[in-house]
Amino acid sequence: MPTLIPDYRRDLEIRRYPLYIYVLVPLAAVVLQAWLPRLLGRFAYMDLPLLVAIYFALNRRSPIHGTLLGALLGLAQDGLTQGAIGIHGIANTVCGFLAASVGIRIVVENNAIRMVMNFALTLLSSAIMMGVIRGLLGLAWHSSWLDELFRAAGNGLIGLVLFPALDRTQIRD
Amino acid sequence: MESFFSRYRNLIVLLAALLLQVIGLAVQVRRPVAVAAAIAGGPAVHISRDGSGVLLIRLWAASLVTPFERAIHGAGDGMGSLWSNYVDLRHTKDQNKELQQTIDRLRLEQAELREDALQGQRLQAMLKFRESYAYQTVPAQVIGTSGSSVSRLIYIDKGSADGLAPDMAVITSDGIAGKVRDVFPHTAQVLLINDQTSGAGVILEKTRIRGILRGNAGGQPQVINILADGRIQPGEHVLTAGGDQIFPRGLPVGAVEKVLRDPDRGSFIEVVIKPAADLQHLDEVLVITSLEPQLSPQQQTDLATSEELKGAEVAADAERKKAAAEMAERLPGLKDPNAPVTPPVIGPDGQPVVPPPVAPKPLQALHPDRFSPGGAQGATSSGSDSGAAADTPETPADGTGTPKAAAPKAQPKPQSAKPGTTTTAPKSAPKPPQTGRVQ
Repeated sequence: MPTLIPDYRRDLEIRRYPLYIYVLVPLAAVVLQAWLPRLLGRFAYMDLPLLVAIYFALNRRSPIHGTLLGALLGLAQDGLTQGAIGIHGIANTVCGFLAASVGIRIVVENNAIRMVMNFALTLLSSAIMMGVIRGLLGLAWHSSWLDELFRAAGNGLIGLVLFPALDRTQIRD
Repeated sequence: MESFFSRYRNLIVLLAALLLQVIGLAVQVRRPVAVAAAIAGGPAVHISRDGSGVLLIRLWAASLVTPFERAIHGAGDGMGSLWSNYVDLRHTKDQNKELQQTIDRLRLEQAELREDALQGQRLQAMLKFRESYAYQTVPAQVIGTSGSSVSRLIYIDKGSADGLAPDMAVITSDGIAGKVRDVFPHTAQVLLINDQTSGAGVILEKTRIRGILRGNAGGQPQVINILADGRIQPGEHVLTAGGDQIFPRGLPVGAVEKVLRDPDRGSFIEVVIKPAADLQHLDEVLVITSLEPQLSPQQQTDLATSEELKGAEVAADAERKKAAAEMAERLPGLKDPNAPVTPPVIGPDGQPVVPPPVAPKPLQALHPDRFSPGGAQGATSSGSDSGAAADTPETPADGTGTPKAAAPKAQPKPQSAKPGTTTTAPKSAPKPPQTGRVQ
């Protein structure tokens, strides 16, 4: 795994972005996540707030930053549903923390690695939500795992386009 | 200690964030409130309402997102016209591409007009439906969704400022869509009928079987809590039952698509419904703000006429019932309620013998003739003997004393079968001449 281990300083640098990017991108992710299903119907296999949390966690390489951003975006998602507040919040918190922790240890510039990470973390998010709904809330989880796989695949593909686009907005020294 | 916090601060922050959210979840988990009268004749529906803190988070999220959704929704037409104007400007500058651009512009306009025409048709249908509908409604536009796979919820552009309140029914001209959940000043959440936490009382149109409608994992509404019944066939229409105090009775819900066996309870089935309203592409909806009927003058006149006719019909029906009761009192009963109860007769095989059906005993004729029951002999014999002959079973000519097979079995065996007794006419019948005939 030599290519996955950061062996020079450029891979470990913390990416910085303008403040408006930190505000507008998560906001746009939440708005689009709420609006796009009107156009796509049941084929809206994506989780844009989770993608944004993963992206900033990976590139900021700060578990605290990833944790808090994931929690904030997840709570915003929960606020738009009729379910309990905290289902998406807990899932995105854990995913943000893990993404940042992984970003410290391996090189995440490779698109294939990003896609695999997005796929895996989206599935993990679904599993955590299932655990929260079943274990903590005692409710039934009736979602189809095939749909969750499609959602993870959709996130992986969207990440291939979204992450390079967001890379262009970073502040370069 | 300081080094501990600095070393594990990432984990501490993670655990703190998770702990806070878990506590928040625990606060929200409460015993659901059972609505006893939710479904008439069916099990109670459990609902839960948010606390003020949770509602505040929803208010923040909705306030953050819905203005953008409203702007996106409203900007659609503006962007379309902006694009058309841009094409027009290009058209004036470039004469060589005039025809092609004109065609492009016309195509765009055609697409716009088509979209406008479709929207106009939808609104016209909605208006027509609304005018023919007796309840007070508020039209609303769908501006967004929850964006989550675990929640089938939409946002509409009307809120408490427009008279909306929680638990109001949301319908389209095709059928029911959902119910209002949380209401904000200018927006409201609508929980669709295909959400797993929704609930509505429904009834199958032909079989009249009642059940509870809610969504399944695939986002399809289904009727649950129904015992297996072979009469339920695909295509049967499903209507609202009206017992849930949300949806008025008789609104179309959809049609039966398939019937599945409940995996948890073998004797129950799940009836999957194809919703009448297109829940995936809702654009315009109607919110029923009041169940009080809002009738037009013509409808009120028709209703008053109907009530008058109905009152006259009820009075006539009561008169008929009264006359029938009086007639029943005058007519004799077929059974004597004071008759002693006879013990069951046990046959030689040990089985109880079922007595033959008893035909009503005919009244004694005042002037029997050959057409009177049992009066054939009397009519042919002397008139003084005819009365006793009517009450005496016919005996064969050999004088064995057993009734003929042709004699009606329903006639009770006369007491005159015993020697030394005389036959007596029924008390209710006119007393025949006493002949003193002894067998």
